[in-house]
Amino acid sequence: MSDQTPLPLVEVSHLCKRYPVLANSADRLSALWDMLLGRTPTRHTTVLDDINFKVMPGCSIGIVGENGAGKSTLLKLITGVLTPSSGDVKTRGAIGALLELGAGFHPEYSGRENVRLSAALYGIGDAELKDKMMEIEEFADIGHYIDEPTKHYSSGMIVRLGFAIIAAVRPPLLITDEVLGVGDESFQKKCSRWIDDYVSSGGTLLLVSHSMYHVQKLCREAIWLHHGKIEMQGEVFAVTQHYLAWHESKQGKEPQQPPTLHSEFEYGIESVASNGSDSSDDLVCRSGEDFTIEVIMTSKDDSVPVLMCGWARADETPVYGISSEMDKVLPEKIARGRYRYLLTFTNLSLLPGKYYMKVHSMDTTGLRLFQSVYRTIIVTGQSRAYGLMLMPHQWG
Amino acid sequence: MKPAYRSVFRELLRRELGERYRGSFLGLLWHLLLPLSQLLVLSWVFSTLLQARTQFENLSYAAFLALGLWPWSLFSNAVSNSVAALTGNAALIGKVSLPHHLLVDAKVTASVLLDLAGFAVVLLVLLLFGTPLQFSGLPVVLLSLLVLYIFAVGFANIVAVLNVFMRDVGAAISQLLSLLFFLTPVIYDSSQLSQHLQNILHLNPFAAPINSIRNAFLGLPIDWLRLGIAALMAIFVAYLGYALLRRSRRHLEDYL
Repeated sequence: MSDQTPLPLVEVSHLCKRYPVLANSADRLSALWDMLLGRTPTRHTTVLDDINFKVMPGCSIGIVGENGAGKSTLLKLITGVLTPSSGDVKTRGAIGALLELGAGFHPEYSGRENVRLSAALYGIGDAELKDKMMEIEEFADIGHYIDEPTKHYSSGMIVRLGFAIIAAVRPPLLITDEVLGVGDESFQKKCSRWIDDYVSSGGTLLLVSHSMYHVQKLCREAIWLHHGKIEMQGEVFAVTQHYLAWHESKQGKEPQQPPTLHSEFEYGIESVASNGSDSSDDLVCRSGEDFTIEVIMTSKDDSVPVLMCGWARADETPVYGISSEMDKVLPEKIARGRYRYLLTFTNLSLLPGKYYMKVHSMDTTGLRLFQSVYRTIIVTGQSRAYGLMLMPHQWG
Repeated sequence: MKPAYRSVFRELLRRELGERYRGSFLGLLWHLLLPLSQLLVLSWVFSTLLQARTQFENLSYAAFLALGLWPWSLFSNAVSNSVAALTGNAALIGKVSLPHHLLVDAKVTASVLLDLAGFAVVLLVLLLFGTPLQFSGLPVVLLSLLVLYIFAVGFANIVAVLNVFMRDVGAAISQLLSLLFFLTPVIYDSSQLSQHLQNILHLNPFAAPINSIRNAFLGLPIDWLRLGIAALMAIFVAYLGYALLRRSRRHLEDYL
């Protein structure tokens, strides 16, 4: 690696991909006509829309997104299997692609024959292949199956062979699409170790996976594709957490903000501010730090209102709820009929993700509920742990 | 990414050649047996049953037919085999990036190589039976075969692309080829026709290479003008085929 600014291995600019709609034979005919005239097909569905990003040497980027978001199409466009409808994909150097199971293997031919074609496609001539063949056989470790037609292979063996070719070629850019999960435990370990080693020794990785664990472990950056567009792009933890939060809120319904007409409530909520800021945007706090909310409440007859405050995850799973009445706490009176509560959650132990804070006003006895205000809270952090909250623990 | 194109082509060609006999018992022996049995049947039908004769003293009709039939089959087999060159490799095209014309070229070349081997066997047998073949005409024969090969590559690219969009091309092509067969002087001698008919017949670009092959083997004069025109047309068709494939490159995989 030279010291001067390296050129990006992949440059994707304004990339669009549209698939033609082929419902009947008339569609096919008009598609042929469109192609001969060099026009874009008249009937199409858009799979990817205005995608822009760069892959610098040594980067590791994870691509996340729900099914049908266009992840595989994007990878195929980068490898050159598909051609963009508009926009541009520039690549430098060889790309090792492990896209689908048995990428390009012909079922009738033996493993060895398939390796020969794959290697040629990676630019490995016959002389070089002679040296690499042993290496490939050794890595794949499928014994005499190497000379059997690949149709007799198990899906795991196909992945083994496919990965073994990649490992032997060691391309400057590796693109893989959720195929490693097929191999057995020991092979997965072998692959993970290889990829780890590959990334840390300067290899560039583009990984599509639904396993956030893998993405966070292997990648430093991430791209979240949503309906063919880049929803978010950046540091891996930030992106994956937003992506997971989005999944959670998709499962649960977005809580309906109750009507907020202050004058109508005997006990109302005037404002909810966190860590000193009082905007109506999402509240943001870091996992492990203190989180303080300040709630100004109103009371028509100047009796003391009770504050009820609860956390819920984005999918509406309740996390924790507490009221001033439970803790026997009284608010600070700032004016007639105006009270202020300050509530601090120390060393916030929630794991990163999207949560709701539900603030309710109640009467003095804490029996009747008057007004509710919901605020979205984004908890940020670097934790890769699972679940809702950090449980204090120690090893050994 | 720069694939080692020559290795890729060779590997694809090896596959095409191997595919014919994958799982068969006699393997390449078929390529000895098939042309021979074909020649046997043809000579029996035409010489014994139909009493067909040629204008040449010591040339049996079977020999006359063989000299035209194998070159023609070389062309027509190559084209009809290539119809599915792209659609049949959809799995490969959809998963790895490779120049599509290599798939068609490999298909055509494999078919031509196998038919050449058959032709060689037939020529050998004709010699053994005392057919007076002039091997001084061999360069002309090879040149004419090359013209047929270039034609085949061009048409193969065209039909392979069309077949991606309309799968009925396969059926249509075999009909067209058998029609063309009768319009090409394979089973008859064009020099025995009237001048008017000959002129019409020579609108068919395959007439010149087929006639040249036969004439070269029999030591007869070659119609260089017509062979030259045919060669130019072949190059034009090949260019057309590659142009079509290049144009379709962007979208082919969407329709497979």
